[in-house]
Amino acid sequence: MSKLKLNLGPQHPSTHGVLRLILELEGEKISSCEPDVGYLHRGMEKMAEKLSYIQYLPLVDRIDYLAGFFYSELFCRTVEKALGIELSLRVKAVRVLLLELNRIASHLLWMGSFLMDLGAVSPFFYAFRERELILKYFEKISGQRMMNNYFVFGGLRRDIAFLEDVENIIKILPDKIRDYENLITENPIFIQRTKGKGILDKETAFNFGITGVNLRASGINLDFRKKDYLYEEIEFNPVVLDGCDAAARYKGRILEMKESIKIISQVLEILRLEKEFKQQLINPLNLTLPEGEYIQEIEAPRGLASIYIKSTGEKSPYRLKWRTGSYYSVNLLRNILKGAYLNDAIAISGSLDIILPEVDK
Amino acid sequence: MNWAEFKNIFNDCRLEGEKIIIESNLLKTIEFIKTNYHFNMLKEIIASDNGDGTTELTYRLFSPEDEEDLMISINVKDEAESISSIFESAVADEKEIFDLFGVKFIGNSELKRLYMPEGWRGNPLRKDYQENDERLTWNE
Repeated sequence: MSKLKLNLGPQHPSTHGVLRLILELEGEKISSCEPDVGYLHRGMEKMAEKLSYIQYLPLVDRIDYLAGFFYSELFCRTVEKALGIELSLRVKAVRVLLLELNRIASHLLWMGSFLMDLGAVSPFFYAFRERELILKYFEKISGQRMMNNYFVFGGLRRDIAFLEDVENIIKILPDKIRDYENLITENPIFIQRTKGKGILDKETAFNFGITGVNLRASGINLDFRKKDYLYEEIEFNPVVLDGCDAAARYKGRILEMKESIKIISQVLEILRLEKEFKQQLINPLNLTLPEGEYIQEIEAPRGLASIYIKSTGEKSPYRLKWRTGSYYSVNLLRNILKGAYLNDAIAISGSLDIILPEVDK
Repeated sequence: MNWAEFKNIFNDCRLEGEKIIIESNLLKTIEFIKTNYHFNMLKEIIASDNGDGTTELTYRLFSPEDEEDLMISINVKDEAESISSIFESAVADEKEIFDLFGVKFIGNSELKRLYMPEGWRGNPLRKDYQENDERLTWNE
């Protein structure tokens, strides 16, 4: 049979940004896939070498605009650990609160757009309705909806406020998530489109460096939050499923939102008891890190995110590198789409939760 | 992992902080570590220009079983052995390093420009990169 080359993207709405996939088709089956990235490359790592630490801080949220707090936290954490700054309990609790709210917002957007990819339009509006509550709250505390720039070296821009809004959000959300599940999880069309599609076994997942929900939906209990110092006093169970397919990855994210709600209610309890807001801010203008190499990791919504900074004691890093989860998920497409039908390609790539600014950096 | 046992097999390596620094036999060393110590995941490869024409490659291996990290580091000139036959995720990392640092990985068949357009001159993250006006370096 003759082969056909098909360009998917870069302007396809379901590539979630600008991802171009060069597919080779034999009939309706995909025989090879080659991702072409770089349309959103902003030179994040190159910029770091030119800017001082405080100048770079507002940029890091933009690596993944849907989960900006995670990258902010990573960057601040690296500086704090390098300079030996301890965070107070309240600051730590606030950071966990915002990270988990951000995780829910990110998963909600993924859910809406994933269902949109599959042809269901209404969940998109439901997901955005609930996400709006969270973004409104972010705007209230930081003045920004998405790229918040709220964490600073050694603490926060200002103390957290409007906690009744968070209480309201976690009161509303469980009901809404139940609604989504009633609408989607048992839906026969949804099941047919995702069950058994995009099988990712354990071996392949490790081999391709897949982390996060995608890995846990393949039956591996690996959550980097378990070793995270922010989450020391918080009890939660990583969501581990053994479906290995697109349906399991969907389920994993829904269950993870519920787990995040549990974490937030624990954090609210801590914040109720710990009222004293103290932080050890440093003068960022002459900030330098001691000579050496620093690596920090965090469990972001799209898998393990880590930062590497090599400092020579100058005002800006000698070398800064980001590791993002999506970059490896895009690489996985070369393997996971092989042998799949063309009409499943969008369902499979959508289920991996790829976001392009994170890939291109 | 057992450092003494490892040191016995590979002589030309030394421990510096948390990093194992090797001089050669990159592919063999990583293969040995993967098969004998369950380091089944490669978190990332970090490249850093030393400023003297060499590039330091740091391989961050991870053992999901023991939740243990391991860093292997090697200094290379313009060529290095590709480990894409051991870890598929290395294909992505090596592509990025080829684009931004110009290190050629022997054995990786997918090496080409990743972020930079075809025909771009130079490798942006090298310390000797000439920052001209982009219109001059584009497709000339």
